[in-house]
Amino acid sequence: MKWREIAFVVLVVASLVGLNATARTPITIWAMGEEGLNLEQITPRFEEENPDIKVRVVQIPWDLAYDKIITAVAGGTAPDLCQVGTTWMAAFASMGALVPLDEFIARSQVVSPANFFPGSWSTAVVGGTVYGVPWYVDVRVLYYRTDLLQAIGVEHPPTTWEELYQVGLKLAEQGEYGLGLSPHWQEFLPFVWQAGGHVLDQTLTRPRVTDPEFIEALEFFVSLFQSGIAPIGEEIDLFEAFRTGFYPMFFSGPWMVKLISQRLPEIEGKWFVATMPKKVTRASFVGGSDWAIFASTPHREECWRFIEFMSRPDVQVDWYRILRALPAVTQAWQDPLLAEDPLMQVFATQLEDTVAPPATPAWEEIAQALTTRVEEAIRGVHTPTEAAQLLDQDIRKILARL
Amino acid sequence: MRARARVGVLFVSPALTLFCLFLVGPILGALILSFTNFNVYAIGNWLRASFVGISNYRELLFEDPLFWVSLRNTFYCVSITVPATIAFSLLAALLLNSKRLRGKAFFRLLYFLPVVTNTAAMAVVWRWLFNYRFGLVNGLLSLLGIKGPNWLGDPAWAIPAIAAMVIWRGIGFNMLIFLAGLQGIPNYLYEAAAIDGANTWAMFRYITLPLLRPTTLLVTVMTLIGHIQLFEEPFIMTGGGPLNATLSVAMYIYRLGFRFFRLGYASSLAYVLFLIIFVVTLIRMKIGRSTFDYAGS
Amino acid sequence: MQGKGFRKAWRLTSKAALHVLAGGGAVIMALPFIWMLSTSFKPESEVFQFPPRFIPNTITVANYINLFQRLNFIRYFLNTSLVAISITLGSLFINSLAGYAFAKIKFRGRDPLFMGILATMMVPGSVTLIPSYLLIKSLGMVNTYAGLILPGLASAFGIFLMRQFIRTIPNELIEAAQIDGASEFWIFLNIILPLSKPALATLGLFTFMGSWNNFLWPLIIATDERMYTLPVAIAVLRGQHGGEFALQMAGAAVVVAPILIVFLLLQRYYISGIALTGMKG
Repeated sequence: MKWREIAFVVLVVASLVGLNATARTPITIWAMGEEGLNLEQITPRFEEENPDIKVRVVQIPWDLAYDKIITAVAGGTAPDLCQVGTTWMAAFASMGALVPLDEFIARSQVVSPANFFPGSWSTAVVGGTVYGVPWYVDVRVLYYRTDLLQAIGVEHPPTTWEELYQVGLKLAEQGEYGLGLSPHWQEFLPFVWQAGGHVLDQTLTRPRVTDPEFIEALEFFVSLFQSGIAPIGEEIDLFEAFRTGFYPMFFSGPWMVKLISQRLPEIEGKWFVATMPKKVTRASFVGGSDWAIFASTPHREECWRFIEFMSRPDVQVDWYRILRALPAVTQAWQDPLLAEDPLMQVFATQLEDTVAPPATPAWEEIAQALTTRVEEAIRGVHTPTEAAQLLDQDIRKILARL
Repeated sequence: MRARARVGVLFVSPALTLFCLFLVGPILGALILSFTNFNVYAIGNWLRASFVGISNYRELLFEDPLFWVSLRNTFYCVSITVPATIAFSLLAALLLNSKRLRGKAFFRLLYFLPVVTNTAAMAVVWRWLFNYRFGLVNGLLSLLGIKGPNWLGDPAWAIPAIAAMVIWRGIGFNMLIFLAGLQGIPNYLYEAAAIDGANTWAMFRYITLPLLRPTTLLVTVMTLIGHIQLFEEPFIMTGGGPLNATLSVAMYIYRLGFRFFRLGYASSLAYVLFLIIFVVTLIRMKIGRSTFDYAGS
Repeated sequence: MQGKGFRKAWRLTSKAALHVLAGGGAVIMALPFIWMLSTSFKPESEVFQFPPRFIPNTITVANYINLFQRLNFIRYFLNTSLVAISITLGSLFINSLAGYAFAKIKFRGRDPLFMGILATMMVPGSVTLIPSYLLIKSLGMVNTYAGLILPGLASAFGIFLMRQFIRTIPNELIEAAQIDGASEFWIFLNIILPLSKPALATLGLFTFMGSWNNFLWPLIIATDERMYTLPVAIAVLRGQHGGEFALQMAGAAVVVAPILIVFLLLQRYYISGIALTGMKG
């Protein structure tokens, strides 16, 4: 008699547990590298607050992550939710791989454009539609050796183009170079934006590289190299160069803070960061990763709830605590952890003045042409004006194919 | 003899089936792609691509200067790496097969290391070797009174630098194949020749080289096929720069397909490369044909 | 008297020269590997010194400990072993069988077929990647061992290698066995294979190495980490901007170790023409 009762209870409990387990909607999230490895520190909290959802994080390496996602989209095996690099957003949106989020945003209490840095938000907008929500950002600032600047009598880091040039020249005279710069488009474009120029027009269908602002920026950029402030074609490891003063200044993103502390303990306290030098503005390049929902998922609502969770200021601060990635949500920066860190405050200031590359699926191709023409101008193969005209033709050809 | 022929086909069929199943489809698929304008919009939905006949090929050959640049770069590199790799790996195989060398297995392991060394580590060390101011290569050159160039940063010298790395990586691989081939040459031939008073060079010329011909053909063809598809070294070391001096055809294909999403156009470039490799291989095999059937006696 | 002394001196000098030449080459070959190994024992702060240090200032095993702690190492090691060994054994059999047929058996269409097989090596992999993936998906093999192993079994290079090597086996041996009434398969197993040990060892090593190190295909095929191979799993540890380089070097060293062990184990098959001595011309 007793056995039957016990069995009955066990059966009921088991089926309740089983039902509960199967009643949870599973969502699969792809996240890269360190982000992927650490995301599981936060997901349990989400699952607690949302007992009907089960999160599974698949970690993929940064190497060839792009290739993997493209192949998955082409093959129809994309995940539910994915971390997408900001420069990849336009391409994936154009493939029709992503879910437009405007409706979700309209009825959301947590996610709204006003809560994010404008430059960062713009990375998720393609053709007027929002396809992603920024997770964390990266923004470029000027890293410089405080002691080397002091040694040449410069008390504060350069704040304008003119100062950048003068300080760079003096540093190059005393040492080897003044600025570790490369022809890469991510280092060149901020100058264009600072001059008030653009690569494409508002409609993203025509190049504006022959505008006077663009050419002015190109001429200045080229002069940095040709005057000996920055190296032409010379390859030296950035860390070693910063340590020895070979490159007393360089532009880079927030990840360098951790890496420099880790790898160059000898220059502890001898370096700092500053916002970009100003021409018309002091705009900088903004990047990072956005959350995007893939169109093939049957669980859009659940994915959206995860995005809302990750966009809460407190969760953003927690994420900063784990990985030191800059929060995309402005309110998170009021947390003392960030507000009372002078280094981070420089990034906060810079984040108010950022531009993202144009959200066109042809961006990679345009960027490649950009880098090539800039390099040609630097090496004197063409004058800046010639290079700009050639670039104009290149871009027209690329856009015509779209 | 018909029965024997049937057995031959049977023996080939497992491999053939696997090829047909896994390789032929995708290769034909890529061929079809090359006649379409498959681009970013088509990745999520094939129907957005359409057939464009041979216009990809036309654009490639007549309107794309980068195609010719990448072709030139590739052949410049190949003209250095193929002969050098084959020569050095044969030399290494002979050296490491010599009875008078102690610790053969250990030496062979060392020569094999470049084949398996992690490419990131390889990049760090080679960047140092080729560094303009502090690198070992320029340091050695200065001992000879020569001022070395900025290898990886100078469009004129980047390909030779890449070529050095390709040769370095290829020696170990081909050396092993030559070693296997050398084992197939019976010892008694050398012993008989020694009795007849032949010296080392004569033995090499009249025994080793001829009997090595099937192996040499293998090594030459594989090296040609592999090196013309040069990708890894420029991808890691220079990303195609400076000024596209190290952009190889295979790199250009990858860039077109996976960065610009122009899979149709990339496929047409791939097939042009295929044709080139096929013709070159065919020529090489015809040259080797006269001395093909050497079953030893 | 003088002659003997001279010959002895010549032998000694040429022997020394041999070792120097071989050794010098070996150093150049091993340099990056040595750096990789030594870096795996360095703390992060020492990694990017210039010129590169080949002997660490501080030796630490923290990277290895870190590696084994953060990775479910056993799982990936077993995964990769299963895949690599399966591919290697299967490939050795399938490709040597085909190689024998191409080398010694005449059948219609043999040579054009062989050229066709060679031709498959001439199409760059980037453009066949997505079609291959779509094929595997339509066969239902995404995220399966079958999808990892089967495509790697047939190898044009393997067939080419075996064919070239088997061609050097004297026809008389085969004919003698045929006269005795042996089947082709018997000949293959008992004459061809034993005589092909160096080629089999070489093919085995390359196949093992290729499948063990394979990064792109396992990454693309897998929809969760269960199917990751060791190189993929280690790459996950790398940050977007390349942090923790020493850790990556430790990972690289761990991945490479089995390949080197297999290499050394296979060296004993590189023995000079044993079975062919004592044969009458």
